[in-house]
Amino acid sequence: MSESSLPVILVVDDNEDNAHIIRDYLEAKGYPISVAYNGDEAMTLFESMKPSLVLLDVMMPGRDGWQVCREMKGHPTLGRNIRVIMVTALQDWMDKRQALETGADDFIEKPFELARLVQSVERNAALLTPAS
Amino acid sequence: MPNYRRFFLRGESPKVPTVPESIDSIRQQVQDRKELLVLYFNFDRYTKIEEIYGWEQLDQILETTADAMREFFEGSVLRGSQMMVSFNNDDDFVLFYVPQAGEPVPTDDDITMLTAQLHAIIAAKVEEMHGEDIAALFDTFVGRAHIHYDPKIRLERQLYRAIREAASSSNSVEQREFGRKAADLRETLRIGALYIDYHPIVVADTKDIFGYEALARGKMKSMRRPEVMFEVAAQTDMIWELSRLCRNTAIGGMDERLKENQLLFINVDPHDFTDPMFTEMDLDVPDPSRVVLEITERTAIRDYPKFRGRLKDFRDRGYRFAVDDAGSGYAGLGSIANLEPDFIKLDISLINCINDNFIKQSMVEMVVRFANDQKAMVIAEGVETKEEYDTVKQLGVHLVQGFYLHPPAPPPATPGATA
Repeated sequence: MSESSLPVILVVDDNEDNAHIIRDYLEAKGYPISVAYNGDEAMTLFESMKPSLVLLDVMMPGRDGWQVCREMKGHPTLGRNIRVIMVTALQDWMDKRQALETGADDFIEKPFELARLVQSVERNAALLTPAS
Repeated sequence: MPNYRRFFLRGESPKVPTVPESIDSIRQQVQDRKELLVLYFNFDRYTKIEEIYGWEQLDQILETTADAMREFFEGSVLRGSQMMVSFNNDDDFVLFYVPQAGEPVPTDDDITMLTAQLHAIIAAKVEEMHGEDIAALFDTFVGRAHIHYDPKIRLERQLYRAIREAASSSNSVEQREFGRKAADLRETLRIGALYIDYHPIVVADTKDIFGYEALARGKMKSMRRPEVMFEVAAQTDMIWELSRLCRNTAIGGMDERLKENQLLFINVDPHDFTDPMFTEMDLDVPDPSRVVLEITERTAIRDYPKFRGRLKDFRDRGYRFAVDDAGSGYAGLGSIANLEPDFIKLDISLINCINDNFIKQSMVEMVVRFANDQKAMVIAEGVETKEEYDTVKQLGVHLVQGFYLHPPAPPPATPGATA
């Protein structure tokens, strides 16, 4: 995938330090990045920026990551062409089932290595439909 | 992937509104014309489809249904109707039709004819888009209510009453239809009108045939889907009789259909173990180690110690076990471990589009690791594409079953089979 065609990524994390580390690292790899610090902000940016990939922290005050994922995936127009990576440890079966039911596509455990983050971003980017 | 059901549940569908959203748009028409026909479409077993194939699949089927209905009504006498989803049941549809001035309201006969045509069209569309198995699973029941507008009573109230009346009349159609199916089942049991579809289960690496799952299908059209046949049997208390017929027919065909090193997988309901005629000694199998009894994870087992005791009797005799639909719920792997299966059959919802979802992949990986520890083999069923096949193989799944490897066989030609 050439740099110019790299997908727009929305990073959602209420911990500003975490969000900035992810943003800086992915920006250095050439990805266009937007950052939201809570669920409401995430939904607003989701509609204005129309990202293809979302990196979504689960534990946030207000609307948590699960609810945000559900709303993004259920969006009548944008929900079809988006992939959501949950940033959480889905350790047991129940967590994974729940993640599937919200429509999430992937997860990375927290704390994560940046290399693992890029791997997850790349494998999801590879599955995006060209139109998105 | 479109999340159509959620649009319905939350009234966000760009295509099909909910009832409250539709009232304003027909208010004036009803007040002018002073009458309204309400049709209630009850699509039976959509819930079952969701249980078996998962919500993503049902969302797509609802979308197909809505499109087929819209197309059909545009070309029918009910042209110009307002279609919406039921207020309290998102997989039922409601249609408001205000007849044009000078045009008669369609009669009961008109509606019966339209229903039959509509059912055929939706079934064809669902079959084309989602396969024959799913198309054969559902039924369409339509109820109607014809109201004359009374200006003294709030329009909303009149409409909701009419919807309730139409819904209840669709239920009575369903009950009549159920009576017919119960009669078909009794006849099926009396004359043994069953045939067995032997679905190959292949070794993931080599594609060699490892065994066959026996799927019993009724020869009568209404009994074609095993799920339907067993649902009718459960409600009419004929489940033991049906299970016996299915088992005996499947075992009876073993010599003819299977090579000596191939296994036969038979579905067994935990309730079958309470049948006094289902014991390890009653099955007429020369070599029990070639027979695998599949027990679904979906059915609650009431008395675990007793159930395990019965399994042990079969196991001591040489029979093997598979847990079917594994991973369909939240229970995880603990409940599977309790049954000490030789085979673990992954739920179809985990296999559907697995190449596209890394969470499903990590779940299947978990099951494979667990199975390898337990010396069990994992079977992926419902594999329909090369991508799904490649993914499960790469995840270490041992055995694979599905239309990607073996397309469904047509039913045998039997005179009177479509009664």
